[in-house]
Amino acid sequence: MISYELTLPYSLAPGWLAPYVEGLQKGRAMGRSCTKCGTVSFPPQRRCQCGNPDAKWVRLSGKASIELRTDGSDGAFGLVQFEGAANRAVTRLEGFSPDQSTGQLIVPPTDVPALVLAPSKPRSTS
Amino acid sequence: MLQMAAVTGSAQTRFSRRTDGSSFRDWAGEAFEAALAMSGLEHADIDALIVASESDFFTLQLNPASILADDLGLIGAATMRVEGGGASGQLAVHAGVQAIASGRARHVAVVGVDPSASQLPAATVKLLYGYSFDAWTDGMTGATATVLYALSYRAFAARIGIGVACLDQIARQNRANAMHNPNAHLPRQHKLAEIAESPLIAAPYRRLHCSPLSDGAAAIILSHPDAVPSARSGAPRISGIGAASDHAQLGARQDAGTFTAKREAMQWACQQAGVTPADIDVAEVYDAYAGAQLQALNALGLSETLADDLEAGHFAADGRLPINLSGGLLGQGAPVGAIGVAQTATCALLLEGRYHPALQPQRQLRHALADTHGGVCTTAAVTVLSQAGAS
Ligand SMILES: [Zn+2]
Repeated sequence: MISYELTLPYSLAPGWLAPYVEGLQKGRAMGRSCTKCGTVSFPPQRRCQCGNPDAKWVRLSGKASIELRTDGSDGAFGLVQFEGAANRAVTRLEGFSPDQSTGQLIVPPTDVPALVLAPSKPRSTS
Repeated sequence: MLQMAAVTGSAQTRFSRRTDGSSFRDWAGEAFEAALAMSGLEHADIDALIVASESDFFTLQLNPASILADDLGLIGAATMRVEGGGASGQLAVHAGVQAIASGRARHVAVVGVDPSASQLPAATVKLLYGYSFDAWTDGMTGATATVLYALSYRAFAARIGIGVACLDQIARQNRANAMHNPNAHLPRQHKLAEIAESPLIAAPYRRLHCSPLSDGAAAIILSHPDAVPSARSGAPRISGIGAASDHAQLGARQDAGTFTAKREAMQWACQQAGVTPADIDVAEVYDAYAGAQLQALNALGLSETLADDLEAGHFAADGRLPINLSGGLLGQGAPVGAIGVAQTATCALLLEGRYHPALQPQRQLRHALADTHGGVCTTAAVTVLSQAGAS
């Protein structure tokens, strides 16, 4: 065997997704709103389902409801619906108990711009 | 029936984790020489070499077709590499058929190969696969292939109303079929409890619901229907090919559990072959995960009543529609570029009555289906094979 180490320092350019990536780093959900039909996508889609490629960036609340989830040694993840978005997203789930089904986008715990959801804080009663 | 190309040669190596110092160049050579010998053709007869390989991360070759053309004695032939994730092998078969249909080639060698198991640590491959769906979104979250397949299956199971026990049955059946396949990576006589109690990776998927990473190669020789060597006049024909795509992000799909691209690919292939799903006698189906086999059977139109058909044994080796006699990815293994080529080779050998004796159905088979996809069925590619004389 010819064994050797290969290290690959990647620099992934955000391209047209730049507002989305910058938003994630601050825990903000930046979606795309179609200039023709108003459909909002998050995660953003370059071309609206109506076919129109033109959109403006809009900030969503970041609130999401979990539709499907999976847990195991690979971590906790969900297919979630963000408030105001027409599509769904796969997100990492941080600190959810089995009965919690709504969450909020948070600043990712690591330095990569990742979709991470934490449980919605219970409403303060004081 | 359209006869686009004859499969005059079919072969594969053993699928396994190689620890003997052999390389993918050796395996490609072994599979190619065996397929060429079966066809009765000479090296000089091969007009084009099409190589399927999923990733340069595995082979370190941006263009593995170039070194393989040299190794295989095919310098001068047209060469290309075809890549479409897990569908790479089947897309390469399609490229071969199209090369013949266009008139460019009389005989094409399609070679699928990947050192998916031995060239990188499994944890590294898992990481690379995680980024490979949509690096900017799913990839950054750290979701693995198993996570995405699990979410897709959850959506499917909720829609169909099917339980987790079906997953254990699929894994047991495919690996039991592999017991009779000397090329298989994971021939096992599992007890259902052993599967149901294996470590949880991403619910509902447990370790034994997942296919392994394997090393290996497969090759077929495709010949123009007018150029089939007389000794191979009965060689099976490729009668239909179909490919289609879906959104890479599960959340962008209408239904995260339905393999829509596979359904469309199947419609194309059946229309071309002049058959319906009910005409298929045997199928090799893309079972990267146990549940993906069920999602595939549904999308391909091979079963309307999945749970009942499974329970009744319709898909077993002695059933009315044997699925994954080879063991599939779960049992035979998964050297990614080789998968689709091996599936097509298996279908061709089954139609010829030349498959591993204990797995060869006793009745006459007319049409076989090879079904492959990349991503969570983002790229679908299916091939219908038919008896030379079928109409
Ligand atoms: Zn629109």
